[in-house]
Amino acid sequence: MSHRFIASMGALAVMIAVALLAPVPIAGQAKSSTANTTTAAKSWTEPRTADGQPDLQGIWSNATLTPLERPRELAGKQFFTEEEAAEYEKQVLQHNNADRRDNPNTDADVALAYNDSWYDRGTKVVPTRRTSLIVDPPDGRIPALTPEAQKREIARAEARSKRGPADSWEDRNLGERCITRGAPKLPSGYNNNFMIVQIPGTVAILQEMIHEVRIIPLDGRPHVVKNIREWLGDSRGHWEGNTLVVDTTNFNDQVRSTSYNCCGGASANLHLVERFTRVDADTIDYQYTVDDPTTFTRPWTVAVPLTRAPGPIYEYACHEGNYGMANLLSGARAEEKAAAEEAAKKGSR
Amino acid sequence: MRRKLAVVVAGIGLLLSVEPVFAHHSFAAEFDAKRPVKLRGTITRMEWINPHAWIHIDVKGPDGNVVNWMIEAGTPNTLFRRGFTKDSLVPGMEILVDGYVSKDGSNRANGRDVTFPDGRKLFLGSSGTGAPYDEKSGK
Repeated sequence: MSHRFIASMGALAVMIAVALLAPVPIAGQAKSSTANTTTAAKSWTEPRTADGQPDLQGIWSNATLTPLERPRELAGKQFFTEEEAAEYEKQVLQHNNADRRDNPNTDADVALAYNDSWYDRGTKVVPTRRTSLIVDPPDGRIPALTPEAQKREIARAEARSKRGPADSWEDRNLGERCITRGAPKLPSGYNNNFMIVQIPGTVAILQEMIHEVRIIPLDGRPHVVKNIREWLGDSRGHWEGNTLVVDTTNFNDQVRSTSYNCCGGASANLHLVERFTRVDADTIDYQYTVDDPTTFTRPWTVAVPLTRAPGPIYEYACHEGNYGMANLLSGARAEEKAAAEEAAKKGSR
Repeated sequence: MRRKLAVVVAGIGLLLSVEPVFAHHSFAAEFDAKRPVKLRGTITRMEWINPHAWIHIDVKGPDGNVVNWMIEAGTPNTLFRRGFTKDSLVPGMEILVDGYVSKDGSNRANGRDVTFPDGRKLFLGSSGTGAPYDEKSGK
């Protein structure tokens, strides 16, 4: 092993360390539609449903350690080598391990919530070893906001700053409120599973997180009228060769306010195009393009493979026992009361 | 050389601070980092519910009084996949909880680290259960 190799691996380790320290989520990039595919087994024949459609059915997982956006510290580095990927995986797994107690008595430690056994985020980067899930633009990052969107963001931040962290449940994100995780849902800490079911004329996709189901007609009907706005948008599908293309519009303007959402700060004008291509027995090449000219200076594309997962898929009835919402609201009230008492004490001195 | 590389990487690993890996909702908004708590208690009831399971335990204080605490955990789905079932944690078992008290001061804490009194980890799945991940790993 040469000195140069050690030096380059050392530099990579530093980049990874810095990247992990960065507070920003991630980003990525990729090439064409087959970017995430693994080598198809020679014996594999693409299965068909009874009515002759390419068969995408089954239970799939999108768990991966690859970040959405390429960390800035890895700028210019589109792909890991095999060895670098292994080091990166090792470091991210160590870093994410919730059983570590490096910073006791801090909010960061509280936020890790519970033992690592409750998490299920996958152990590998994507098979292409790209350093981001974003494949276009080539820098692997969400494109710059338009001036209009920048103004919107500033106004939104200003309005938010006038409120406490939990004055109302409406100050909390849509995931915490059990409303939606958005669709498509990016990989997160657990419940990264999807079930695809096809019947003639319709595809249904069940997302395990909050057990949301997307019913996608394939019969060529137009989108609903513009004034109907939906949490998951209005989807229409069609086949282009072996690829299922799903075109979604009519989003409402709040989907940005959920964790692990697909599309950054996209507005209700979001036009989403997804592509599902079965590439071997255990893999669907999955990509989506985010197009919202009122928010982003250019469209951008994400590729995150779906890998066959063992069933069954479980229900995740988020409202069933969401005591957390009541607890964090009562926590905020208790903190306000304590702050008011403290202020009164100071005032009387 | 490989050993040297490992040393370099390990050294850098020590510099890493742990960033929040978010659960369904913000635990930092619900529990108080300034109020860590260690509890030893006997399970009285299990709520295997979503989005988070809750473990109810009776904790005997130094004054002999028994107080019931609620301990927040994660989604049952992940544990089911690992072969951990409702029979793996049942009323009567004794556990240790290292967590943080809720911000509103009630007897709730998160199970930041939950173990058995003998130090064993609580949530290691058992093999041969027929659970999805168990079958996948071919155990």
